[in-house]
Amino acid sequence: MLYVELLAQGLVQGSIYALVAVGLTLVYGLLRILHVAHAGLFTLGGYIGVLVTNATGSLFLALIVSMMVVGVLGMAIYRLCYQPILDKPPYVALIASIGLFIAMEEIYRIVFGPYGISYQNPPLQSSVEILGLSLRMGEVAVGGGTLVLIGALALFSTKTRFGTVWRATVTDPDMAESFGVDIIKVRYLNFFIGSALAAVAGVMVALLNNLVEPTMGSVPSYKALAIIVLGGLGDVRGTLLAALALGVIEAFGTIYLGNYLDRDAIAFAFLILVLMVRPQGLFGRA
Amino acid sequence: MMLQLKNANCGYGAFQAVHDLSLTMEQGKIFALLGPNGAGKSSTIMSIAGHVQLFSGSIIFDGDDISHLPARERVKRGIAVAPEGRRLFPDLTIEENLTVGGYCQSSEKEARNRDMVFALFPRLTERLKQPAGTLSGGEQQMLAIGRAMMTEPRFLMIDEVSLGLMPKMVDVCYNAIEHLKSQGVTILLVEQNTRRALEVADQVCVLESGNAVWQGAAEDARKDPALIEAFLGMAKDSAA
Repeated sequence: MLYVELLAQGLVQGSIYALVAVGLTLVYGLLRILHVAHAGLFTLGGYIGVLVTNATGSLFLALIVSMMVVGVLGMAIYRLCYQPILDKPPYVALIASIGLFIAMEEIYRIVFGPYGISYQNPPLQSSVEILGLSLRMGEVAVGGGTLVLIGALALFSTKTRFGTVWRATVTDPDMAESFGVDIIKVRYLNFFIGSALAAVAGVMVALLNNLVEPTMGSVPSYKALAIIVLGGLGDVRGTLLAALALGVIEAFGTIYLGNYLDRDAIAFAFLILVLMVRPQGLFGRA
Repeated sequence: MMLQLKNANCGYGAFQAVHDLSLTMEQGKIFALLGPNGAGKSSTIMSIAGHVQLFSGSIIFDGDDISHLPARERVKRGIAVAPEGRRLFPDLTIEENLTVGGYCQSSEKEARNRDMVFALFPRLTERLKQPAGTLSGGEQQMLAIGRAMMTEPRFLMIDEVSLGLMPKMVDVCYNAIEHLKSQGVTILLVEQNTRRALEVADQVCVLESGNAVWQGAAEDARKDPALIEAFLGMAKDSAA
């Protein structure tokens, strides 16, 4: 039973990693930029989620507002921060992104206060029994919500014309342009979807911890980097699997190795081990 | 006259691949660009497609100067490319690669073009759901040409038509090229297999280190094979 419980916990945590990391890997695939400020959008997603829920009493509405606002802000970051420096070497964008991320944390501190905010009436706190496991509704919502969103993303990218063109553009932007694709449009879409998914993750973490604080993006920022490296940079399917794998490994690791290593150390020990054997990542192509 | 390069200088960053190249391609004809590796053939193609920077000179298509148009506008005017190394979208299936090719077409035209591609390359219909990256070299070339045909081009450029293909596949590709010509499409070929290219070409240009060293009617080159071979500096008959 303990194993099943740990597995469930790991998958819930992994789902959150997945929602954050997908946006990061999409940006990397398209622009070859490590979009560190992505984790700042995740934090903002959490803030908007809590604020709108407290104001309206509807978590669902909060989720939608959070996705829209953060999605649009993601597009604005592309337009204002990355597009002007795309012809510079990639580390220029990386430095800009790190700077932006730090600035975002400070802005949250100034605007929302340094101590963080919580739900007045935390939603989805009741427990449910599933297959003999006692889970919080919040955890079920995280797992189920991730499944629905990733499923929708998969359907969009494989079953629609624009989704197909999007995947083509991520693998070879120049060739896609040769067939009349406006790659700027694809980039905007890319940032919108990736940022909106990160916002969902922010709302969900806020739900599980009942707390949003200015620095809640710092750990996800570097952990999501580790995940996209594990998944084979730019590979969405690999990133999803790597995120779930990391969630599960951390869940088991904290029980069996918790006396020696903390959660984040386990994650990075795993990354180092994998990269020693498979430098292209778990699922990347050699 | 369909397409004209006027004193084109192009390349990548500080590297100049093509020097002062002037070409005139007639409507409905096949133009062959020959020359050894690194002669600037692919750079010429990619500068016409809009992917290689034109330093100076101009590209005239249908009487309009398209030198400064982005690649996606050029394809809308009827310029398509099956580039060096095919550059298919490897994770996408055959079907999806064609979908991207037909991105700018109405769904009606898209369906018609797709039928035309399948009529020309029936083999592609057998593995519609297979990722392009897993296809054989010949199938990849068919798909690259098919994907370009999906744009309904009036001017089609094909790089390294026969490179790495089995003789049977080379025939399939050249049959397709002649069929397209019969439909009035103007074609620019890049080919290492000189003999094969000369069989179908109307006009020829030989490039060497980014310079045009010979231009003329393919007729003349066919009558006197030594002429082209002298310029190519290799007398081997690549019977690929």
